[in-house]
Amino acid sequence: MMISEMWTPVLALLQQEPSGSFGQRLVQSFSQASTTSFLFLSAILFTVGVYGVLTRRNMIVIFMSVELMLSAANLNFITFSRYWQTQGNEYAYNGQIMTIFVIVVAAAEAALGLALLLTLYRNRETVSADEITLLKW
Amino acid sequence: MLLQGWEAFFFYGLAITVLFMAVFTVSAKNAVHSALFLISTLIGLAGLFLLLRAEFVAGAQILVYVGGILVLFLFVLMLVNIRDDNQNPFNRQDKIAFVVSGLLLGAIMFSVYHTQQSGFFKSKPTDERAVIESAKPGPNTGMISTDTENVGKTLYTKAVLPFEVASVLLLVAVIGSVLLARDKKQEETYD
Repeated sequence: MMISEMWTPVLALLQQEPSGSFGQRLVQSFSQASTTSFLFLSAILFTVGVYGVLTRRNMIVIFMSVELMLSAANLNFITFSRYWQTQGNEYAYNGQIMTIFVIVVAAAEAALGLALLLTLYRNRETVSADEITLLKW
Repeated sequence: MLLQGWEAFFFYGLAITVLFMAVFTVSAKNAVHSALFLISTLIGLAGLFLLLRAEFVAGAQILVYVGGILVLFLFVLMLVNIRDDNQNPFNRQDKIAFVVSGLLLGAIMFSVYHTQQSGFFKSKPTDERAVIESAKPGPNTGMISTDTENVGKTLYTKAVLPFEVASVLLLVAVIGSVLLARDKKQEETYD
């Protein structure tokens, strides 16, 4: 099959000869998920985050989109950690350690970023990224 | 790595939930709704971590993200008075940003697809004999997962220095945010 594994269930549903009820075929076709499926999910999550960072006006929502992107990276780390566990690699748990550090840095970033935002709101009465143009030329 | 049966069923359920909640996070008009959808996304991700046998990270995700960071977001949202003057929540770049993020998605998907086609992922069912000894349940632990034990071992042997640096980073974040967030009256009182 030339189309990647994420779409395999859908394609199998379309191509299968009708054998058994629709419910049975649905369960059968969605009965497998591979490493690649997780990576595709992570890619889509990351892209949704990128779109949020690029388009939202409210800076708090921009921060939330950054958290989405970090979470997508976390999912990738955990996926590869599990993959190397099943392959018997002794460094498999490094991925989970990396994820823990990402969570720590995200916490620090959120605390500092939101403190900056509060200070900004006190001085400029706005949290809209479009209205903060003092350093723009 | 291949999830089968109920695991795959839960994967697809959680994946669809996470994707929809992420899209709602980015597209919700009200920022408080965004925060609540983000909570749902992160809880769904914690469920995915459980499917990947990473119980400790799943717990840390819920404790730190949902219990800590998201509460901070909600606090700031309530301190900051957002004027709801029916303004478009998206800026003027939304169309070009859609194209750019679509291209990015295509690039990432292509690279993942290409890696998979090149046979990098041996996507056979989990062979228990190939799993390293430390990842198996121990003799006295029954069927309890040893994930947390292995994470602890790795964290305190291979990653000690980053662990200590992370504590300094958190200290800097605490002091910095207290310093930044105080108002004029507090500054005059203590300076």
